[in-house]
Amino acid sequence: MASSLREKQIHALKRMLNFNTPVNKSTNAEPQWKVLVYDRFGQDIISPLLGVKELRDMGVTLHLNLHSDRDAITDVPAVYFVMPTDDNVQRICRDLQNQLYDSYYLNFISAIPRQKLEDLASAAIHCNSVPQVSRVFDQYLNFISLEDDMFTLRHQDRDSISYYSINRGDVRDTDMEQIMDTIVDSLFSVFVTLGTIPIIRCPRGNAAEMVAERLDKKLRENLRDARNSFFTADSVQAGQFSFQRPLLVLLDRNLDIATMLHHTWTYQALSHDVLNLKLNRVEIEEASEVKSPGGVRPTKKKKAYDLNTSDRFWQLQKGNPFPTVAEAVQEELDAYRTKEDEVKTLKAAMGIEGEDESAISMLSDNTAKLTTAVSSLPELLEQKRLIDMHTNVATALLDQIKSRKLDVYFETEEKLMSKATLDNLLEIISDPEAGTPDDKLRLFLIALICGPTLNDAQIDQYCVALQGANCDIAAISYIRRWKSYTKMTAAPSQYGGGGTKTVNMFSKLMSQGSQFFMEGVKNLVIKKHNLPATRIVDALMEMKTMQDIEDYRYFDPKLLRADSSIPRSRSPFQEAYVFVIGGGNYIEYQNLVDYAKGKSTNVPKKVVYGCSDLSNASEFLKQLGRLGQEM
Amino acid sequence: MADVTNIFKAVVKGIKSRKKQLPGDGKNEERHSIFPTPKHRGDFEVNAKEVVSAITKLKDLLLKHRKDYVNAGSHLIGEASSMTDAEREKIDTEAQNIIKKCQDNLQTVKKNAEAEKVHPQVKEHREYVLALINSYLKVVCKIYSEQRAVRVKRVVDKKRISRIEPERRLSRQYSRNSDTDNISSNAQLPSTSSGNTASPKVIQRVPSQTPNYDDSDDDISPEEAQMFEQENKAMYDEMNSLSEEISKIQGKVVEIASLQEIFTEKVLQQEEDIVKIADTAVFTTENIKEGNEEIREAMKKNAGFRVWILFFILVLTFSLLFLDWYSG
Repeated sequence: MASSLREKQIHALKRMLNFNTPVNKSTNAEPQWKVLVYDRFGQDIISPLLGVKELRDMGVTLHLNLHSDRDAITDVPAVYFVMPTDDNVQRICRDLQNQLYDSYYLNFISAIPRQKLEDLASAAIHCNSVPQVSRVFDQYLNFISLEDDMFTLRHQDRDSISYYSINRGDVRDTDMEQIMDTIVDSLFSVFVTLGTIPIIRCPRGNAAEMVAERLDKKLRENLRDARNSFFTADSVQAGQFSFQRPLLVLLDRNLDIATMLHHTWTYQALSHDVLNLKLNRVEIEEASEVKSPGGVRPTKKKKAYDLNTSDRFWQLQKGNPFPTVAEAVQEELDAYRTKEDEVKTLKAAMGIEGEDESAISMLSDNTAKLTTAVSSLPELLEQKRLIDMHTNVATALLDQIKSRKLDVYFETEEKLMSKATLDNLLEIISDPEAGTPDDKLRLFLIALICGPTLNDAQIDQYCVALQGANCDIAAISYIRRWKSYTKMTAAPSQYGGGGTKTVNMFSKLMSQGSQFFMEGVKNLVIKKHNLPATRIVDALMEMKTMQDIEDYRYFDPKLLRADSSIPRSRSPFQEAYVFVIGGGNYIEYQNLVDYAKGKSTNVPKKVVYGCSDLSNASEFLKQLGRLGQEM
Repeated sequence: MADVTNIFKAVVKGIKSRKKQLPGDGKNEERHSIFPTPKHRGDFEVNAKEVVSAITKLKDLLLKHRKDYVNAGSHLIGEASSMTDAEREKIDTEAQNIIKKCQDNLQTVKKNAEAEKVHPQVKEHREYVLALINSYLKVVCKIYSEQRAVRVKRVVDKKRISRIEPERRLSRQYSRNSDTDNISSNAQLPSTSSGNTASPKVIQRVPSQTPNYDDSDDDISPEEAQMFEQENKAMYDEMNSLSEEISKIQGKVVEIASLQEIFTEKVLQQEEDIVKIADTAVFTTENIKEGNEEIREAMKKNAGFRVWILFFILVLTFSLLFLDWYSG
């Protein structure tokens, strides 16, 4: 029973909080209180995994940012979880000088280089606090797990490794080296946490190849270093008992840009695209009306909602198309209402029965019912909170969909991706009501990438229309150049098979008297088609021969010779890690999840998706715009 | 996860040796003694740690005697239990004392902490430390109450089982008595119905003895005896039903007690909020009163202002008329 990457990361974090001793399961242990100090990378890593309540359960009384003003709380051990950068090391030295805490457990997110360790040591000696530094650890947790099968590398510092930084025209070699090193370091920590060594496949001639070479080298070095290796037999035993090694597929974003710009229709992807889902958290502005003597003033409140693995409804519905989700929310609401009514009737019955004192036997049933009702009350309240939250999120999504006509965009893009004609494209672009300028630009870019080839005159015509709609057409020039560079004329054919059924379904929902008025919003059923990334992963895992993957490189760090051209023919892989350099989004993730589910008939196939950072379409569009302007 | 503590210590040693080679100021390094300097621990920390150790001791005590206490052996009387009831009582009272003491200590620590003037972060930290100790205490109390509940349940079961036997034997005996018209059994029955844990052996002896009593009592006639018997039967039934009802009520009361506990908890939780709301409401009324006062003042001043404006306008008008009359 393999535990997922996310669970392993949580386990490692808990062990760290327990002063790096293994966590024992008994709840009767003495509480040991401590203070947690993190930097922003540490914060990004911890916040999707452990909430404040869980931290308190582990004994963390205060959690503070490294660079904030912290008061001296002597007599308390402090656990630091930071990246080994110069600023952080200096700040730690300052803390040691000011004697802020009693003992220091320093955990560095990635390996601390020798030089900085010396700086730390000299600072500790200088202020006579060497015995206070109890332990120093390299945690190798340099990645953010968002779901059981999804991880990214950066959230708050994503500009340094975004698509823009990798592909811009004036990128220097040193910058590139730095970016590659960051990515390799994070991927290395992923595999250290997992405890397995993968087999690496990557295409030739782009960033993915560079990353693959370096990762291979790093893994090889670590394996040969018998003293400090992380991949000894012990760690494998502690981990899963799979006898097969996983496959790591490194892909570059240039393989498939259309997916990043695509409009989407599944719940999780929609909330990322429309509501900016960040680190499993959504912020919604709720307009509440405040009645004052001067008139009705709508005030906007920002509310943040957590959408994570503990939410059962979210886990079931996050990959489903939006109308299914709306129905499901309605069902949950009905179920909750029936339970609430039960409790209420019980209350009424109790009220009546309380006056009749002789009926002791009736009292017995009611007492038992009351006990169960009272004990189930917290569950009911929790359920109500979840339903409220999902109702709010879904309503916010629906508002955006209606105002921007996202369903029309989705349908058109699906048609374009299956090589239909683009007759109504010009209409949509010139329609002032349909969507923001970003939406129109995205639609046109997808048409440019996937649709039939347009000649220059047509393109100029569209550009004029787009400019009329306030779009920034710098991105178009970049895409045109990209298209000519990458010989991706074969790419559109890979989108084939996608068609949509437009079913006007509002009859069904309206008859239910639902609060989601979906009139005018078409019910679009997503046909199962595979995006380019999924196709490649499928071919590599199943050892099929496909034209595109013929010249993919093959790395196996366990082989003695670094011979990279001959892939050993093995049985199909059961586990794959797909990593996209330059940005990823939930559409690809959902596609991979669906593919894995479809393939896991008798033997479970596991596909884990990773990307250097999660960008939604508007952010990616901005990056393309900048690239186009700098051309 | 790589433990680089040793590398760190090696680096420290390396740097120290490097520093010794240079003629640096020797003052800093003389202070390094073999034993680490004793750290001054604040009162809060010391007291908090004491409370925690007391709770741990209690937990160990409970767990150590747990096996004997619970005596998962048997219900039957007669098998030697390794712990008499007296010892169990002693453990119970001791545990309760320790819990009470820990709670008091915790309260004093809390009061001392609040009285001290410290940074807000330290205050927050102390709050959470106290909350952690509190929950630890609750966990240990739960162990204790669980053990106790098991013991009480066992005693109740024992009583119930030992009571069923006399009832069964009594009913059997009744059928025999109604045949033999026995009076002395009346004397026996009230005593047996009131006694609960009495051994069934006493009753066993009675049927063997009943045939002897047939001829000894000649004061009471057979009709009166039968009447007495019926009366007794009625009384016995009544007593039985009463006792059944009592046991049922006992069960209900226990359930109600647990419900009440849950309710008290919830009510106490809400009390805080309600106090806050009451304070806010009081503040609100006072603010509104002051607001009303201010509004009245403003209105008055407005009125006065208006008077002055009108006066000014009238003066201007008259002066205009005057000038006009003067120049015209």
